[in-house]
Amino acid sequence: MVYAEEAALSNSRGIGQTPLLEGQKVSKYFGGLAALQRVDFAVYPGEIVGLIGPNGSGKTTLFDCLSRVQKIDEGYVYFKEVDITRKKPFQVAHMGLARTFQVIRIYRKLTVLENMLLSRQWRGESLFSQLRPSQPATETRARDLIEFLTIADLIDELAANLSGGQQRLLEIGMALMPDPELVLLDEATSGVNPTLIETIKDRIRQLNRDSGKTFLLIEHNMEFISDLCSHVYVLNYGEKLEEGTPTEIMNSEPVIEAYFGS
Amino acid sequence: MASLTLTVQQNRMGRWVLLVLVMTLLALPLIQVLAPDRKLVSNALLFSFTQMFMLVTLASNWNLTGGFTGYIDFGHAVFFGLGAYGTGILMSKLGVPFPAAVLAGAIVAAVFAVLIGSATLRLKGPYFSIAMLGTFVAMREIVRVARPLTGGGQGLTLPPYLNRPLFYYVTLLLAIAVVALVWYIRRSEFGSSLIAIREDEVGAEMRGINTTLHKITVFWIAAFLTGIVGGIWAFQNTFIDPDVVFFESRTVELVMMVMLGGLGTVAGPVVGAATIYWMRDVVWSNFAQFHLIVEGLLLIAIVLFFPYGIMGSLGDRSGTSLSNIVRGWFTQRKQP
Repeated sequence: MVYAEEAALSNSRGIGQTPLLEGQKVSKYFGGLAALQRVDFAVYPGEIVGLIGPNGSGKTTLFDCLSRVQKIDEGYVYFKEVDITRKKPFQVAHMGLARTFQVIRIYRKLTVLENMLLSRQWRGESLFSQLRPSQPATETRARDLIEFLTIADLIDELAANLSGGQQRLLEIGMALMPDPELVLLDEATSGVNPTLIETIKDRIRQLNRDSGKTFLLIEHNMEFISDLCSHVYVLNYGEKLEEGTPTEIMNSEPVIEAYFGS
Repeated sequence: MASLTLTVQQNRMGRWVLLVLVMTLLALPLIQVLAPDRKLVSNALLFSFTQMFMLVTLASNWNLTGGFTGYIDFGHAVFFGLGAYGTGILMSKLGVPFPAAVLAGAIVAAVFAVLIGSATLRLKGPYFSIAMLGTFVAMREIVRVARPLTGGGQGLTLPPYLNRPLFYYVTLLLAIAVVALVWYIRRSEFGSSLIAIREDEVGAEMRGINTTLHKITVFWIAAFLTGIVGGIWAFQNTFIDPDVVFFESRTVELVMMVMLGGLGTVAGPVVGAATIYWMRDVVWSNFAQFHLIVEGLLLIAIVLFFPYGIMGSLGDRSGTSLSNIVRGWFTQRKQP
């Protein structure tokens, strides 16, 4: 994308739109350590947004706060205009927010298909309604997603036997099973070979273009970020250092300094 | 699910075996009626089967929390005790008929499960196990000191009712109903949620499962059913006291039965309870002083050589092993 076009797009970002996910002055403390300090951000529907920063800058902590694994000490988070600051993780998941983890979380002792089936759509269902047998439509969706993610030949393989990259794909598939509106991917390319990175990139793009899914990506792979994202946030020492288009970010002095030192 | 269930052929064969087994068990007391002189089926045999059916039911109940959900409950016998004492107190002190007393005793167990589960099920791994063991010991002492209600150490005597075939049928039908319920839960979406909790509780919560509600629900269901068994046992035994009802090794036996049969499988607790019950009968009658040593060695052998139990050895890989659950306690981190 030409820099001028990218900049124009960035300037028009969010005009007339309500953010799908919005954080206001989000802070998180571990004892005396401020992991996040008054971080503001917004993700609009249909966007692919990047979140980068040096190690220990608070990226995963922010994900944990958004998905409610961690309590938010100060500030507010809104998802689909609903305050989710005090909601439980399963309630946020029911609203359509799914995530993957920096350290892969899959059911390692179960097969690929079983992993997918256990990650089905749970939104707004009573416990009583869950007493029905597993629905055929769920299995169809699981099989379709497994094929989409190019791991169909591993469908009956134990998840523990998959390579790191294949496990990443499986975890993405598990996040997609409930058909969420927003997917948070935490280092989806970490430890993945270049071929599979291209597959992951292609699938994210396809899901964004064809299904309108919104993504927020934590990444260290700048090529991945610049190829996919229209907007990038940079964290450093728990504070928002910069935001802008990938090109703006890559040319930003404070960002370069944060990564490479002055 | 693909490999969480047995294959179709195994299922068909299993259904026939199950049907023949159930029909045979249903017909057993009739032999006593039709041919009383031959003594093919003695009252002692019916009593033994009644005990076994109760153990099958208890093991299946324990498997709901221990095998499906991965919460190893070392105090499950507390619900047996509450069911037994609930039934005993109502029958001996208030003259409540047996069915109503059993139901009330089971409700007491279920309500207690909700209350205690709300606190203990927030604990993970060994902390939950120890907390439940503590609950069990505390309840035994409470029963011991609540003399006006429970009779204290002197116990309670229930109205005698010696009808072996009746107890046989009641416990057989209860065992069938409970195993059918466990089978249904296992293939339901609710059952899938329990497996997800067992495999990775934080991940399950992140994927939209209300883990607290699921755990408490399965906990009180198991407690209710165990409370029924406790009530039936009390009535059959006609006498209860704290030591005989709150028997320490009862839960350990259940754990052993489920592990031998196959932790987290539907058939495992049935196979394990039946195997250990009859094996113990044989060992006890032949080597009375060694039976505990034999049982201890068996437990070690299961852990070392048959981690997935008999059902696992037969190809049913819907279950798990104790080592998997324990490993999960230490590898599933609260924070990702």
